[in-house]
Formats: sequence, C-alpha cells, structure tokens
Amino acid sequence: MENIASHEDWKSCFSELAPGLLLFARQWVRSRADAEDIVQEAFVKFWRRNHKIDNRGLLYATVRSIALDRIRRDSRRTRREAEAVSESEKVVKPQFELLDETQFALAAAVERLPHEQREVLVMKIWNELTFAEIAYAIGISQNTAASRYRYALAALKRMFQPQ
Amino acid sequence: MNDFSEIENELKKLRPAQVSRELFVRIEQKLAGPQISEHKIIRPNRFRVNWVAIGFGLAAAALFIVLAQISTDRTPKQGDSIAQISPAPETRSVLTGPEGSISSSEFVPAGATQVVYNTRNEGLQFPGGSEQPLRRLRYQMQQTWQWRNPATGASLQVSYPSDEIVLIPISGQ
Repeated sequence: MENIASHEDWKSCFSELAPGLLLFARQWVRSRADAEDIVQEAFVKFWRRNHKIDNRGLLYATVRSIALDRIRRDSRRTRREAEAVSESEKVVKPQFELLDETQFALAAAVERLPHEQREVLVMKIWNELTFAEIAYAIGISQNTAASRYRYALAALKRMFQPQ
Repeated sequence: MNDFSEIENELKKLRPAQVSRELFVRIEQKLAGPQISEHKIIRPNRFRVNWVAIGFGLAAAALFIVLAQISTDRTPKQGDSIAQISPAPETRSVLTGPEGSISSSEFVPAGATQVVYNTRNEGLQFPGGSEQPLRRLRYQMQQTWQWRNPATGASLQVSYPSDEIVLIPISGQ
C-alpha cells in the first residue's frame, strides 16, 4: 500500500483501492449498484482535487460523507431498503469472493458485528488504513478506533470459536 | 493483540468482491468531463438556513416600521393644528393632549439579544460537488428584540428561536 502515494495514474490507484472502498461503501447501502455509485462519486471528487492518494483518511471520509448524505437525502428509499433487508436478511449478496464454507461463516459473522465495529474492521483489514487514518475518516480518537477494532476481533473470535 | 492474530489472518484471507468494469468506464468519463464549480455550492446552504433568521428579522423590522408609521401619521396633524389655531394659551393646552398620545405610541429600539443555547457538530460534509470537506456546525439560538416607550415606560418584546448552520472548511492532513 505504501506505493499508492506515488501512483500518478488513477486507474492503478483505483484498481488497488476499489474492492476495499466498495466493501466500505456497502455498509450503508445493501445494493452493490448504489455502493458503486457512492465509490464513483467519492473517488472522482477526491481525485480531481488530489491527483494522488496521499491522504487515504480523507478519501474514506469522502465515501462515508457521500453515503450518509445519500441516506439523509432519500430516507424513504432507505426505509424501503431496510425493510427489504429485514425480509431477506439471510440472503446477503456476497461482499467477498468466498472460497469455502469456513470463509462464508466468517463473512456472515462480520455481517453480524455492530456497525461501529464493522466499519473500523473493514477499514483496517481490507483497506489497510492505520488507526490514525481511521480516526480521521470517522472523526473519533485513535484509541477509540483501536478499541473498536479489538472489540470486533474479540466478538468474531467468540462467534467463530465457540467454547 | 497476539490473541487475535489467528482471526486476523483468517479475515485477511477473505477477498472483497471486485468492482465492475463499468465503474472504471464511468469514472473515466467523469474525470474527463468538465468540473463543476465548487464556489457556488457552499453559499446556497448558508443562505437557505439564514432565510429563516432573515425572515424573522424582517418581520421584526416591519413591526417597527408600522409603529414608527403610526407616530409619523399623527405628527402632521399636530403641525396642521398649530398652523390654523391662533397662539391662544387655551389652544396650546388642547394640543398637549394629542402630543401626549403620540409619545405614548412611540417605541424606540431598546435592545437585541442572541443567546446560543446549543451547538451541534453534524460532521463532515461535501456539499454538492465540493471537493473540500466542510465541518457542519448547527447553532440553535433564541433571538430577542425589545422596544421601549420612553414616555410611558411600556415595552414590547419579540422573541423567536432560530437555527444557523455554519460550514467551516477544514484542510486535509
């Protein structure tokens, strides 16, 4: 990830970041198409200003802000989505390229985490952000980000490795 | 942290789904297209919110003008009377009646207060097309305007709540 800062070509930057960004965006919208819209809007906005990825915290803050704006702007649609999700909660569209049943179970366990913890986990594990970058993106302290990460791992460990 | 290394490794083995090729095309088109000017974006937000306060302010001003108008409407009548009536002492004593009533309807601004009773940080925003993050702060206030009649000591007070949203640009780290 360190080399990303020196990339001049948006495609190479985006290729590396896109799967993680999409996963991050899908925390707020269940539809993959909506998540791609959010990622597109955020990346275009970010790239036009920066032309390089030297402040990933800001990029993720942009994605988060656009996602939250979208929710506020279209609350009826969000409600419909929430209803749809509750009706078909178990039919979660795959957010990972699953390989086996163990991974499927782990992905499902991640889905069940509280949103605050999942948000930090997604940024840390699949986007490789530092706690400082996570803290900047969410607007919390680094200690809080680290705590949420540990709580998420502990919860997963409990879910995944029952006594 | 070492307790979690095993679960961390398992999580890292999960690979997020890839984005569609179409997304690359869309981004390329957007980046190639003209940029939207961001300077126009912030202002509407500020003004939209300020209209509420401005509306109340105008209402208060209109009330003041109406009160002032009452005073000016009566003043010429007094002048006419003075021109027509001879300067007899008894006539002057009659004129003091309306003069007293004029002054009783004259209200002068006595003060205005604006009390901020709540400030809420509503997080970062990127208002329509803007690329610079802005911190959105909402100030909830109680505005009070006061007028006083110096002659009678009567006072008039208008008080109303108002919200003001301020967007503060923040620089990247």
